[in-house]
Amino acid sequence: MDGGALENIRAAQNPDGGWPYRKGGSWTEPTVYALLAHQAARTAVPRSAEALAWLDAAQRRDGGWTPRRSVDQSTWVTALAALLPPEAIGAARLARAVEWLLGESGMESSPVLRLSAFLRDGKLPDGPGVSGWPWFPGTAAWVTPTCLGILALKKCYWRRPSTDLRERIDQARTFLLSRRCADGGWNHGSARALGYNSDSYPETTGQALLALAGTDAAPLEESFRLAQRFLREQRSSGGAAWLRLGLLAHQQNPAGAPLFTMPCRTVPDTALTLLAAAAEQGYNVFLD
Amino acid sequence: MRRRDFLIGSAALGLAGCSRTAAPRPRAPVNITRAAAYSQGIYDTMRRVLAGHRLNVRGRRVLLKPNLVEFEPGSAINTHPMLVHATLEAFRALGASVAIAEGPGHRRSTLDLADAAGYFQTIPGFEDVFTDLNLDEVSRVRLPQPVSHLRALYLPHTVLSSDLLVSMPKMKTHHWTGATLSMKNLFGIVPGGVYGWPKNVLHWAGIHESIADLHSLFPNHFAIVDGIVGMDGNGPIQGRPKPAGVIVSGHDPVAVDATCCRIMQIEPSRIGYLTLAGGLEGIAEKNIQQIGERPDSVETRFELIMGLRELRRVRS
Repeated sequence: MDGGALENIRAAQNPDGGWPYRKGGSWTEPTVYALLAHQAARTAVPRSAEALAWLDAAQRRDGGWTPRRSVDQSTWVTALAALLPPEAIGAARLARAVEWLLGESGMESSPVLRLSAFLRDGKLPDGPGVSGWPWFPGTAAWVTPTCLGILALKKCYWRRPSTDLRERIDQARTFLLSRRCADGGWNHGSARALGYNSDSYPETTGQALLALAGTDAAPLEESFRLAQRFLREQRSSGGAAWLRLGLLAHQQNPAGAPLFTMPCRTVPDTALTLLAAAAEQGYNVFLD
Repeated sequence: MRRRDFLIGSAALGLAGCSRTAAPRPRAPVNITRAAAYSQGIYDTMRRVLAGHRLNVRGRRVLLKPNLVEFEPGSAINTHPMLVHATLEAFRALGASVAIAEGPGHRRSTLDLADAAGYFQTIPGFEDVFTDLNLDEVSRVRLPQPVSHLRALYLPHTVLSSDLLVSMPKMKTHHWTGATLSMKNLFGIVPGGVYGWPKNVLHWAGIHESIADLHSLFPNHFAIVDGIVGMDGNGPIQGRPKPAGVIVSGHDPVAVDATCCRIMQIEPSRIGYLTLAGGLEGIAEKNIQQIGERPDSVETRFELIMGLRELRRVRS
């Protein structure tokens, strides 16, 4: 693991304990990734009390997390925060986050919209009960927040199995599989739009493979090939890290240039590269 | 609410108060300039373009907002970096302090995207003048008279604190809105860090209505449309390069975008956000003063996907 990268993350920590994307105020996403990078490195977080206090203050009364404290809305970053271990953020806080996640879904799965789609098209969209997560409440489900939701709920399920969690994870996986593009990868949203096939992207393809860890690998062979091709053509460290994490989750050996050959321009990109490096060493913080 | 937030909100409110007009108002002139290629000549061209608009920006903070979408330097997806650099130099020559900012709608690694699109190579010190609007500090701004379902938006401080926002889109067809030009380009100021990638909250609130609402917050932004090589067909991502050989500019984004539509042989009165923001009279050809080439002298047929062919402009 590249110790310099972890030092870069440490150096970026704000006086309030949180982390910025690059510089400036603290946000939930880079703060969670910075904490996960330390977890992957099995290293103590500097000023951990301030870091966790910052994160505590970003949790809202409804149990969800706001992306930054000046934003008065819980969003997709709740799934990220719920990836942290209960001993870090507290079991009660984690339980409230899970409740928030279980109560949130893409608007397209709401009964009113499904009924209107049925009246318009004569059939229900995507079959009954297919539900992913949106980036922002009141909008449609997308691939990235759905992947993070699956990963967060899986961790909770392993600690305390329940039917509610199992069913929601299965629904979200069905959602993901229904959104797979013709080339085997994943776009941000639909596999087709207005009669045209959507393009797949490295980040979303890696995330989807990671979230589908543990499913039957045979139908994903084409997805693995595309992920390997993306890795050989990699253009961002974040994309390369997600692809590696996704492939490793299915025991696929990642191709392409070694880690840390691409510039890591944000705290999340640096942290994700460290998480991919740890996964190559056998410790995948998203799955272990 | 902190005092700074209040001031920013109030400023936006003040701007918005004079935006949505029931009666047509005189449109600021639109300049269509021929530019055949992305070559060194663009630097002179942009100085002449800005001089023609008589902009007084000495000592002002000017923010250039290009359209960055994909990692494809050879394609017609992104605003060309040479045009952005030429515009930056031209505004600097007028005494402005110039920065560049963008918040791409679906690719998260903005700096990597800008690098691949040639911005680092073309614009010296690019990283020092660039802000990723998806990850900037934000304040909540109320929409005074929304036509969408939105009532307020979190917006980046870099945009709210600029004196002149310059929207620099690529001239492209768009599979949802028909055309994506200077007004639609403002989707890129809505922060992904809050709303996600894509900024789906704008789609659910109504795409045309959201464009009109964003325009109402920045009604006097300046527009410079990169139509040297645009995109037609299944834009804004999967279309084909379409050379149109023009730069279209002006202080009235509605007039600029309506003019671009005419150049693309798209009927502006069939573009929802243009009629919402300008009204039929406001976008009528007779009410837009042209100070460069005439639209019909540079018309270029931009192909439209099947579902959008009713947008084709038919001359009477």
